[in-house]
Amino acid sequence: MREVVICGYARSPFTQATKGALASVRPDDLMAQVIRGLLERTGVDPNDLEDFILGCAFPEGEQGLNMARLAAFNADLPLTVAGATVNRFCGSSMYAIHMAAGAIQMNAGEAFLCGGVESMSRVPMMGFNPMPHPGLYKRFPASYISMGETAENVAQKYQISRAEQEGFAVQSHIKAARADEQSAFKEEIIPITSEDGMVVKDGCIRPDTNLEGLAALKPAFERTGTVTAGTSSPLTDGASITLVCSKDYAITNGLTILARIRGIAIAGCAPEIMGIGPVPATRKALERAALKVEDIDIAEVNEAFSSQALACLGDLGLSQEKVNLHGGAIAIGHPLGATGARITGKAASLLARGGGQIALATQCIGGGQGIATILEAA
Amino acid sequence: MKKIGKVAVFGSGVMGASIAAHITNAGIPVILLDIVPEGAEDRNILAKTAIKKLLKSDPEAFMHPSNAALITPANIEDDMHRLAECDWILEAIIEDIKLKRRLYKQIQLARKPGSIVSSNTSTIPLGDLVKGMPKKFSQDFLITHFFNPPRYLRLFEMVAGPDTKSDALEMIRSFADRKLGKSVVNCHDTPGFIGNRIGIFWLQCAVAKALDDGVPIEAADAALSRPCGIPKTGVFGLLDMVGLDLMPRILSSMKESLPPDDPFHSVNRDFPLLDKMIADGYTGRKGKGGFYRLKPDTDKKIKEAINLTTGDYAKAQKPKLESVQLARKKGLKAFIGHPDQAGQYAGWVLLRVLAYAASLVPEIADDILSVDEAMRQGYNWKYGPFELIDQLGTGWFRERLQAEGIDVPPLIQTAGNRSFYRTHRGQRQYLDLTGDYRDFQRPDGILLLADIKHASKPVARNMSANLWDIGDGVLCLEFTSKMNSLNPFTLSMIRKAIKLCQRRYRALVIYNEGSNFSVGANVGLLLGAMKIRAWFAVRYLIKQGQETFDALKHAPFPVVGAPSGMALGGGCEILLHCDAIQAHAETYSGLVETGIGVIPGWGGCKEMLFRWSQDRTKPRGPMPPVINSFEMIATAKVAKSAAQAQEMLILRDGDGITMNRDRLLADAKARALAMVDDYRPPEPANIYLPGETARAALEMAVEGFKRMGLVTAHDSVVAKHLGITLSGGDTDHLKPVSGNRLLELERDQFVSLARMPASQDRVSHILKTGRPLRN
Repeated sequence: MREVVICGYARSPFTQATKGALASVRPDDLMAQVIRGLLERTGVDPNDLEDFILGCAFPEGEQGLNMARLAAFNADLPLTVAGATVNRFCGSSMYAIHMAAGAIQMNAGEAFLCGGVESMSRVPMMGFNPMPHPGLYKRFPASYISMGETAENVAQKYQISRAEQEGFAVQSHIKAARADEQSAFKEEIIPITSEDGMVVKDGCIRPDTNLEGLAALKPAFERTGTVTAGTSSPLTDGASITLVCSKDYAITNGLTILARIRGIAIAGCAPEIMGIGPVPATRKALERAALKVEDIDIAEVNEAFSSQALACLGDLGLSQEKVNLHGGAIAIGHPLGATGARITGKAASLLARGGGQIALATQCIGGGQGIATILEAA
Repeated sequence: MKKIGKVAVFGSGVMGASIAAHITNAGIPVILLDIVPEGAEDRNILAKTAIKKLLKSDPEAFMHPSNAALITPANIEDDMHRLAECDWILEAIIEDIKLKRRLYKQIQLARKPGSIVSSNTSTIPLGDLVKGMPKKFSQDFLITHFFNPPRYLRLFEMVAGPDTKSDALEMIRSFADRKLGKSVVNCHDTPGFIGNRIGIFWLQCAVAKALDDGVPIEAADAALSRPCGIPKTGVFGLLDMVGLDLMPRILSSMKESLPPDDPFHSVNRDFPLLDKMIADGYTGRKGKGGFYRLKPDTDKKIKEAINLTTGDYAKAQKPKLESVQLARKKGLKAFIGHPDQAGQYAGWVLLRVLAYAASLVPEIADDILSVDEAMRQGYNWKYGPFELIDQLGTGWFRERLQAEGIDVPPLIQTAGNRSFYRTHRGQRQYLDLTGDYRDFQRPDGILLLADIKHASKPVARNMSANLWDIGDGVLCLEFTSKMNSLNPFTLSMIRKAIKLCQRRYRALVIYNEGSNFSVGANVGLLLGAMKIRAWFAVRYLIKQGQETFDALKHAPFPVVGAPSGMALGGGCEILLHCDAIQAHAETYSGLVETGIGVIPGWGGCKEMLFRWSQDRTKPRGPMPPVINSFEMIATAKVAKSAAQAQEMLILRDGDGITMNRDRLLADAKARALAMVDDYRPPEPANIYLPGETARAALEMAVEGFKRMGLVTAHDSVVAKHLGITLSGGDTDHLKPVSGNRLLELERDQFVSLARMPASQDRVSHILKTGRPLRN
């Protein structure tokens, strides 16, 4: 079977929605700038690209039509490069990578751009026209359950205290701030041109986050709950991208291989505890890769909320020391459709820098799903 | 006349910054300059901090937060060259004549020829300010004195020097009047001008007498407030509001600048308690409290008042004073003639203040009109000093002065037993200094219903509304009920106006000169019907209102609503049915019915849905009109200015905003007349609404808020009924819904909510306390 590799990863800065520096940038523009940046950094010949698969959780308004095709035009990709927009909520851009991997193994292309974008400033969560199915809502209200409520449910079911959640959030900020200080994000961030000038840095990381400050916050979703804004990922604007190729193509064209994709999986779970989705997905992916949790050297586990990330780590038996070495979404931000490509690209980059042999990237997904990717050092 | 396109304001303290904010309310950009603090990394830090504070100020300094972007922060070291861009340069730095003169020299070097320079000084004479400056400067210089807060207090004192050019004066007068909405009063170049000269004397008299006679501050404030037509803050409440630390500075400045024989000196005395309070941080509302404070170390809001003798605080009393009660029934003369402490106290203070005011004309102003206007607009007195003297009777007042051994001012002698104001052959007149009556002269563009009322009789009248002929074929509908609440009499007068207008007039303006346009439907009537379970009557009242407003909307002549102050609930709904709105900038509008457990029932839901569906600036689709209307109505959101009402689509493109309250009626009339030719009433229209899916989406959102503790049990019930109405009932976004169907939904949901005890509790509670019940 053909081997699939990741040969490049880049992203825009991630900035706070509405108030952040990217609020004025259209998502299709943001994506196009990141595409251009990746092409320049990897040196891949765009004429060889089969498709651009773009993840987006709320593909309407400026993110509407087939944004992948439009962003490709905007990035001046050759007209021969196709484009598809894919929606699996927060798992969208990781799923874009999975789609490319499947296509490569089917011999349906050699090189794919797989990315994601979300402007949570310009297209709100739930979109402009939320029109739920009234019958389904009555029969099975959890189909439309809010993410905050699921975070509370997971905290309760898995007995994750507020203090534990806050400790985890502080660590996320500390790790991200340290990585930022050490310029660890520089190699992945593509500077973005905005109305107000060049945006070069992440905007959500708060190096001064501390336990006292977090303890003073009010619950964000339930009056008597434990989840606060400080232990939730912030609404964020951002775009990310990876270059996914067949190993043969990468070698023939002299591309730098960051990591090999060893296994992938999607799993469904109860929507009211969607945050636990990474557990079944990771287990499936590990089994397919003939690996065990102990084999994982580094993991990127998306931090939609502290409560669900901690529940997943506990259930999988993953040590926090291996997880989110440069911080997670609580600190860096979570532009829904863009996060999957960020954490998969990040895990691949860490392996390429000698971080270990096996890496996991996994996320929970609204509606009750998990998605996971197992990577192996090249 | 040249126009003012950009303004520079020096000084980013409370006054400078708030003036800058108010200039942006007129849409004019401002450069706000201050010094560079020693060692500052950000050289514009003072102005930037001031802008941040403005955005949090309460009451709001900006009519819309986006106005903040019109202020450019700057500093006097790096940015003086930018004065060349400015047509008006306004200095509002501290009251230090040396600093001011030094700044003027810098300004003179940097400003463009013909630009106007003014000072917001409240105490320093103009002659002193321009001493030593070249004539080129003094020709363009004047004093422009705002009152705090500049957005809300309309008095604008203007002082010209002997050199000041008339075109400079006219330019500022016109700008202040039309763009800033100010009442411009010409003052002579004397200490404290008009407002503060009399106002400070009034405060000092009141404080001194309270100290001398041991009058509790609650009684002093109860006496020197409503019974005299003065705001309820009275004296001590007002001092808390303006800041106690300001007082010593103002008093010392007045002491130095007023002549030795001025009566001010007799009431200006040491006040050790005040000094101690300031030293302890009791600087008023901005500090730990002042003469009043909230009891510290408790979560309960317990208001305490200071004892002027001991300096101790105790729970504030609500004194029951016979004289104050008498004032309501029998007026000012009976009040100050009453023998209780409050009556005697108020009499002692008022006689001296009114005599003082009368003695200052013509020293401080050319006429009595200026003095009365200054006290009305600068201190929010309902009546100016001469109007108060008229209430007492000039002869009676003179005799009381003589009896108390107070000098009788020449102007009082001149008046004899005649009043200072009168209506003669339908014309309002005032007494001039020679003892002759002169006609009121209204500037172009000012039309007051008060004048029309003096000159004519209403075309129609009932106990809640009047119709007036305001000339040029325009009829004016005026509400007259308490707080201008709407009731069956009001509705009946609207229907009468429609009939009359069709026969004899060309257009209708809905306007009044009360504090509020209308606070909405008379809730007392609703509660009465609820108590006797007269649901048919509730339904009938709703239907009657709907039909009346619909008839207004589709009448064959233009209808212009001209609100000022509150236009809430039904008061807002009537505006939504007008062809156009000409709103005073200080209009507070919104559909607030959910606060009493019901939904807008007089077409408010319908009209907001149509407004949002026609909005082309926001993302489109079946849901945005529903979501936007729902957010606004369910949360009883109130626009705190006409600018905010534009954002909420209560005002539409083509509606107008008038900054100056006195120009509102003339502007509304002109707007109505401009629509007369080719006028066609709007055709009945359909709307496409999503039905049940929208209700599910709204329910999900409300459930989320409920979990967060932001929505009470009954809030969510009301929201559900609102959702049924706004979603269009049982429909689908491919099927048209008529306006009449929406009215039917409004009626059904209104009555259904009115039947609920929880809604009745809300109505009862608001009538009792004036506050909404969160049940």
